[in-house]
Amino acid sequence: MRQLFKVTGALLRTLVRNRQALFWTFFFPVMLMVVFGFLGNSNFKLNLLVTGPRSGPEARIVQAYEKIPYFKVQRADRKSALHLVRIGQADAALLLPPASSPPPWHATLVYNSANLQTAQQAVSAVTSAAAEINLAMTGQHPYLVVKSEAASGSRSSTYLDFLLPGVLALMAMQNSLFGVAGSLTRWKEKGVLRRFLATPLRPVQFLGGVVLYQLVFGILSAALIVAIAVAFLHATVVLPLLPLLITVVVGMAAFLAIGFVIAGFAKTEEASMPIINVVSFPMMFLSGVFFPVTSLPPFLRSIVHVLPLTYLVDGVRGLMSGQYAAWAPNVQSDILALLGWFVLLAIVSTRTWRWE
Amino acid sequence: MDGVDLGIEPGCIFGLLGPNGAGKTTTLEMIEGLRRPDSGSITYGDHDLVRSPAVARERFGVQLQTSAFFELLRVDETIDLFASFYRHTLSAETLIERFELGEKRKAYVQNLSGGQRQRLAVAVALVNDPEVVFLDEPTAGLDPQARRNVWDSVRQLRAEGRTVVLTTHYMDEAEALCDQLAVMDHGRVLDEGQPQELIERRQPGAFIEVAAEVPITGDLRLPGLERVTHEGPKTVLMTQRLDETLGALAEWAKQEGVPLTGLATRTATLEDVFLQLTGRSLRD
Repeated sequence: MRQLFKVTGALLRTLVRNRQALFWTFFFPVMLMVVFGFLGNSNFKLNLLVTGPRSGPEARIVQAYEKIPYFKVQRADRKSALHLVRIGQADAALLLPPASSPPPWHATLVYNSANLQTAQQAVSAVTSAAAEINLAMTGQHPYLVVKSEAASGSRSSTYLDFLLPGVLALMAMQNSLFGVAGSLTRWKEKGVLRRFLATPLRPVQFLGGVVLYQLVFGILSAALIVAIAVAFLHATVVLPLLPLLITVVVGMAAFLAIGFVIAGFAKTEEASMPIINVVSFPMMFLSGVFFPVTSLPPFLRSIVHVLPLTYLVDGVRGLMSGQYAAWAPNVQSDILALLGWFVLLAIVSTRTWRWE
Repeated sequence: MDGVDLGIEPGCIFGLLGPNGAGKTTTLEMIEGLRRPDSGSITYGDHDLVRSPAVARERFGVQLQTSAFFELLRVDETIDLFASFYRHTLSAETLIERFELGEKRKAYVQNLSGGQRQRLAVAVALVNDPEVVFLDEPTAGLDPQARRNVWDSVRQLRAEGRTVVLTTHYMDEAEALCDQLAVMDHGRVLDEGQPQELIERRQPGAFIEVAAEVPITGDLRLPGLERVTHEGPKTVLMTQRLDETLGALAEWAKQEGVPLTGLATRTATLEDVFLQLTGRSLRD
């Protein structure tokens, strides 16, 4: 074991000295979180244009809309309001009739059907607000009041909270694949491996040292990313440490095994890079890192569901969102599936591995 | 490999010569325990190295043809790392001093010059205080100063009672350094012996290099003359009896009216033996 730790220690030293590699290891995930977290966190407001006189009962209707935080209300004349909606500068325009006639007044809501989702939101928000305004204006007592609240245990979550576990899983994959497949092929190519083989150090001690180094680096970098996300980007996550640690370690083990398989095939570092990309790209975009797997078409979903990164993302996200209890069946099945991948790939890698 | 049979005496510098692809490195790797021979035996003292290559890895010191270390590890850390793999070791400080790496002690491996890398590789090969040291092309790509420096280190190893086994492409190096030689090609040993012994056995004569205003062609009959070859504008005569051939050559030039513009004699070198044994066709 002493020799194994020596190898791990030496590798950790070289890692700390490789400033450029370290920078890129953290730059990419942090950038992802900053950019997407910012997009997801911006409070959505509906741009509503209102036409009509500035005084009289219509003014009270406009004020009622202005009080609802969901709307950003602006006044405009009829012609420019229609133009702004058509070109997409405003989400919808509420055309109030002149207040000469007695109620009910028939207002028209104009929306741009090019952006269907916003249009639907605008229609339902404006009409439900109209119902409330009706009650308030006529002084009637409401018959049914609905108050919405989050289910107990679930927390309000931003897109960043959704993204952070995905980014952790993604990092575990990328670091393990590039770390093992990249460096092992480079050492093979340059003769570093042969030099170690010419000593009493046993091959399994050397490879064990490499694996331990990858695990230590993987866990430390995951911890750092969580710390950055919580401290600077205000992510809110729960951290059940032991189950989380075990899930991440088992996930990394599966990806390290893939790395060993690739390092066995590839003769040079250049040759290993495209293989790593072919393996990691589909998982990066399909396995639920950036959006839920459920939003994929059904035929893809069944394939994607068995990919290792899908299990890792699901387990880590379930635990960090509080959706899964510490050792919930879902967590167990994710861990088991990752273990299955690890065992399968470890067996394959012993067949494909070459020292030179 | 095709029936290689080598005996290496303890305490000598043994040189393995041969063109690229001759099987030198493969031979070394089998002795070092890096490669398993399909058949045959390798013994070291009482140890059967085919059955227990671990003995080789524990007791031998190895500098591979491409000895690469972790680029971002410092010189002293690299020596310490390798020292941690052995039971019996020399101190890193001793090795750093011995190979004049003191100034570079804290330098990263990636910032070392070719000569410094080579010295580090030899230092690491000595970290287990080995009885036998294997150096695979220890002077390849080094400048003349660094080469002489490596030679001195190799001689010092012998002075300490260690056995050194090295491969090289440089015939002058083999001639200057080695006590015993084996010339290999196509996985076979073509000849072996002491350098001088090899030269006398394979190329016993001397060479006369003649430069003349007109190329010397036609039938040249001189006493002792064995072979005539042309190297560019020069004619090279190989002879068994240098004095007689020289006198006859001067006579012949006078008679024939061929003015000689240059004349040089030399005895055969290891390079002549090497080319005679391995041929002149290009290797990869």
